[in-house]
Amino acid sequence: MVAMTLLVYSQKFNNMEIFIQSAAQISIQNPLCEDWFENPIIPTLPYNRSIEPDYKQFISPIASRRMGKLIKRAIATSLSALKQAEIQELDAIITGTGLGCVENTEKFLSAMVKEGEEFLQPTFFMQSTHNTISSQVALFLKCNGYNCTYSHRGTSFESALSDAFIQMKLGKIKNALVSGQDEMTPDYFNMLGKIGYWKNEISTDILRNSNTNGSFAGECSAAITLATEPKEQSLCKLQDIELLYKPSKERMQQAITNLMEQANISSIDAIMLGLSGDKKNDDIYKEFAQTFFADKPICWYKNIFGESFTAPSFGVYTAATCLKRGIVPQHLCYNGQNIQDIRTILVYNHFQNKDHSLILLSKC
Amino acid sequence: MEELILELKKEIIEVLNLEEITPEDIDTDAPLFGEGLGLDSIDALELMMLMQKNYGIKVDNSEKGKEIFKSIRVMAEFISNNRTK
Repeated sequence: MVAMTLLVYSQKFNNMEIFIQSAAQISIQNPLCEDWFENPIIPTLPYNRSIEPDYKQFISPIASRRMGKLIKRAIATSLSALKQAEIQELDAIITGTGLGCVENTEKFLSAMVKEGEEFLQPTFFMQSTHNTISSQVALFLKCNGYNCTYSHRGTSFESALSDAFIQMKLGKIKNALVSGQDEMTPDYFNMLGKIGYWKNEISTDILRNSNTNGSFAGECSAAITLATEPKEQSLCKLQDIELLYKPSKERMQQAITNLMEQANISSIDAIMLGLSGDKKNDDIYKEFAQTFFADKPICWYKNIFGESFTAPSFGVYTAATCLKRGIVPQHLCYNGQNIQDIRTILVYNHFQNKDHSLILLSKC
Repeated sequence: MEELILELKKEIIEVLNLEEITPEDIDTDAPLFGEGLGLDSIDALELMMLMQKNYGIKVDNSEKGKEIFKSIRVMAEFISNNRTK
């Protein structure tokens, strides 16, 4: 009986196609648009906050008064992505966040230190948890479907994406809103600075040729919609996703081979890596590229979006946008010239060389 | 009393994060909940904290709270008569 169920699942699993229908971002680039594709803002400072859009077009001032910055960003990117995808009935909201609403957490804890436990404001308490983001988006959209939050530090977004992918492959949901959400408060930035997370000076050349550890901070709100039926506006096909923990070279090779075989893809056009100028991390990416894709173009995205726990969501977002447009612009090419007529991209991310993820995307 | 009313309006705007609302926009005699500012039960908790923190008044009875938070004027009168800070 179990074997039969697995067989049925396996058959369903193989046949269902999944498409990234739309995507929207609020980051250190101009928000809710794709200006970054042609005219990116090149960061020069180690600490960068997101550029905020006018939230009044999404949320009334009365409704937004209790929302922290991250919640507003999450709602704005979610609404924007859903509108582009023309999804009316949403089956699932799945969020990845490394820190959750850390700004409100700080306010709540600071008040506790300053005032004791007697005068704690309920709003900061309610909105200091990680799953507030997903639940606030659901309340706003009046979505009673599946709602889940993954808080797995540097692989939070991939975990959320993997959940959506598996549920869609099993036929449990037909569409999903998946997002990566993280904010960087001054205090948290300073704390990470003390353990060597940031460089003092930032430029593309410094990041590309770095021999030192540390990168620069960004903030992340990237929402994508997934669906099992393609539309004209679909960005790309999400072929497969694999999460690995401390894989050996053989295990990584096997995972790459399996992804390509499952997708019936014989060659990858480019790899999208989380290169950030942090030597310790970048060495892992360079070794990955050298070992498995020595002759392939390397793309990067953290040079314009910065580092955060859910920055890999920008990797998927930029790769999907590049596939839709069929080109990788020069500023996203880590080595070589811009890439034309691109059809497949493998997004690879690792967190502290422990958690690794492979996400295979192809043109629709 | 008018001074306290103005002070209270400013505190409410700050604690409830009522962006784009000025003290002049708030009708001193209008209901705070439902109509008027359209506040809800979480705002009521915030107002209770405000009363305790700024004026030393502990509101621990929800029925009493309904009476006190009827309007800015009623709140100001109650504070004026019961404040310890």
